[in-house]
Amino acid sequence: MNQPENRSEIVRLENVSKVFGVNGHGMTAVQAVTLSLSAGELVLLLGPSGSGKTTLLTLMAGLIEPSEGSVSLFGDDVGEYSEEELQRLRARRLRFIFQNFLLIESLSVLENITLVLRFAGKEAGEARLAARNLLRQFDIDRLADRYPAKLSQGEKQRVAIARAIANGAELIIADEPSASLELSQGLEIIMLLRSLAKEGNRCVVVASHDLRLVEFADRVFRMRDGAIDEEVRVSGHATRSG
Amino acid sequence: MQAQPLRMALTIGGIALCVVLMLFLLSVYRGVADGSIEYIRSNKTDLWVLQGGATNILRGSSILSTGHGNLLRDIPGIQSVSPILFLLSTIKKGSQTSTVYLTGYDVTTGIGSPPQLLEGRHVQDDGEIVLDHSFAAKFQFNVGDQVVTREDTLQVVGISARTNMFVIQYAFVTLRQAQSQIGYPGLVTCYLVKVQDPSTIAAIRERIRDELPGLEVYDHEEFLRNNIREMQSGFLPLLYTIAAIGGIVLTTILSLILSINILEGRKDFAVMKTLGSPRRFLHGLIFKQGLQISSAGCIVALVLFFPVVRLIERLAPEVSTKTSLEQISGVMLAVWGISIFSSLLAVRRVRRIYTLEAFT
Repeated sequence: MNQPENRSEIVRLENVSKVFGVNGHGMTAVQAVTLSLSAGELVLLLGPSGSGKTTLLTLMAGLIEPSEGSVSLFGDDVGEYSEEELQRLRARRLRFIFQNFLLIESLSVLENITLVLRFAGKEAGEARLAARNLLRQFDIDRLADRYPAKLSQGEKQRVAIARAIANGAELIIADEPSASLELSQGLEIIMLLRSLAKEGNRCVVVASHDLRLVEFADRVFRMRDGAIDEEVRVSGHATRSG
Repeated sequence: MQAQPLRMALTIGGIALCVVLMLFLLSVYRGVADGSIEYIRSNKTDLWVLQGGATNILRGSSILSTGHGNLLRDIPGIQSVSPILFLLSTIKKGSQTSTVYLTGYDVTTGIGSPPQLLEGRHVQDDGEIVLDHSFAAKFQFNVGDQVVTREDTLQVVGISARTNMFVIQYAFVTLRQAQSQIGYPGLVTCYLVKVQDPSTIAAIRERIRDELPGLEVYDHEEFLRNNIREMQSGFLPLLYTIAAIGGIVLTTILSLILSINILEGRKDFAVMKTLGSPRRFLHGLIFKQGLQISSAGCIVALVLFFPVVRLIERLAPEVSTKTSLEQISGVMLAVWGISIFSSLLAVRRVRRIYTLEAFT
């Protein structure tokens, strides 16, 4: 694949729309969205349920194809990636943090982390060692042999983040990461994500309806009815009404 | 699956029963094959002479006269001619009557005697009988007992092995005793011919055909093949049908349980796909699970099989089985093959799980 012209640009959406359904009975989930996301920034997609945040995240990740417009990921049009290339991208350069974290319940914490490292092509022993180091880095190595059902929400959150940065993903997409957490845990996770963006020079995109997260983001896109109706540049205090 | 111990136990139990069924059928088949054919195999002679059109002694009839024997003895190069008479007869025990494959043979040459004796001795004179061990066990006959066959009362002098054809068992008497049962002393079923020089077997065979037209002459191997074919034609279709049913049940159980596991773990599969799992990894999970379940079923089956067989043989002595390592290996391989096939069926469900499901 081609290298991006601007190396820091991770995702670019040009006039992207997504309509679900067929034969003229479609529901527009995302409408004419244009945006560009770069490494080192934490971007917040803010909006109520049903505003199209999650659909926009899946479009950015190449999980679904746009009905109109184009999505560029790491410098190349998503449509040009083969199924295998997209799978490799998801395994090596792009990671998700899901609402409720979605750890694999039948695997231990260590195995959950090892699994994604294996997806990225690491050998079993190497992946296991790297996973242990990562757990140590997050100060949760004591949880290595526990299963997700035995973890608190806060512990799950840390494991989910450890899983997301395993293998050094460049783009982290988090869908409502604070939804199931108490206030303090919600703030803790957004601060962690911010440090991942800043210290790891990653692009972190967070979809949430939680207004408390706004102050931690570099940019905030307010979504309503599938469209971005406002972009707020928090760090630079620049605003643009859509 | 581990979280559902009852379901896991039922699944593994179901697989184990299918495996036991397959192993049992194969063992019965081997037992029947052994019991049906071993008599012919062990009576190693150079030529078998039967009535024209007869190809075997299991499900064919052949009637020859003692005169044929005399004509055979006159042919140069023949060392011995031993007559055998097979007939269906009945043995009574109290109010029970059971059929045996009564075999009368020339006790002076001993050709036509049982392939193996477990107890006692071979018949030496009229009024004596050797019974198959499963027949004897079923009707609780022992060496020294008296049995009534048609009008005659005979003494049991021996118990034979490898003489159980499952649906009927061999019983051995003198040729004269057997002939007296049908009322025609001059009748036999076939002759077992030994030649003086083995290199002349083919030539003597042709000569018998020339001099005694209307008779069938087979060398030992050909006659053995004819009987094996006859035995298989009667038994193998049944065996294949039941084995196929067992295989279908096994495939159904495995596909069903794997599909249920996939459906229950649908979200996990969607998450793994979203996290970049290669397709072969997800498919590998299904195959691994299929192999683990089927292997567990095989282990339980092996633990159950031998006690179950012993119990069946005790309850129904005519069911005689023979189990070999090859049979067990063959069934295990078949089960793993079915497991792979079932996994292939189940894997299609994984393809229909979409990454978006992780976000719902």
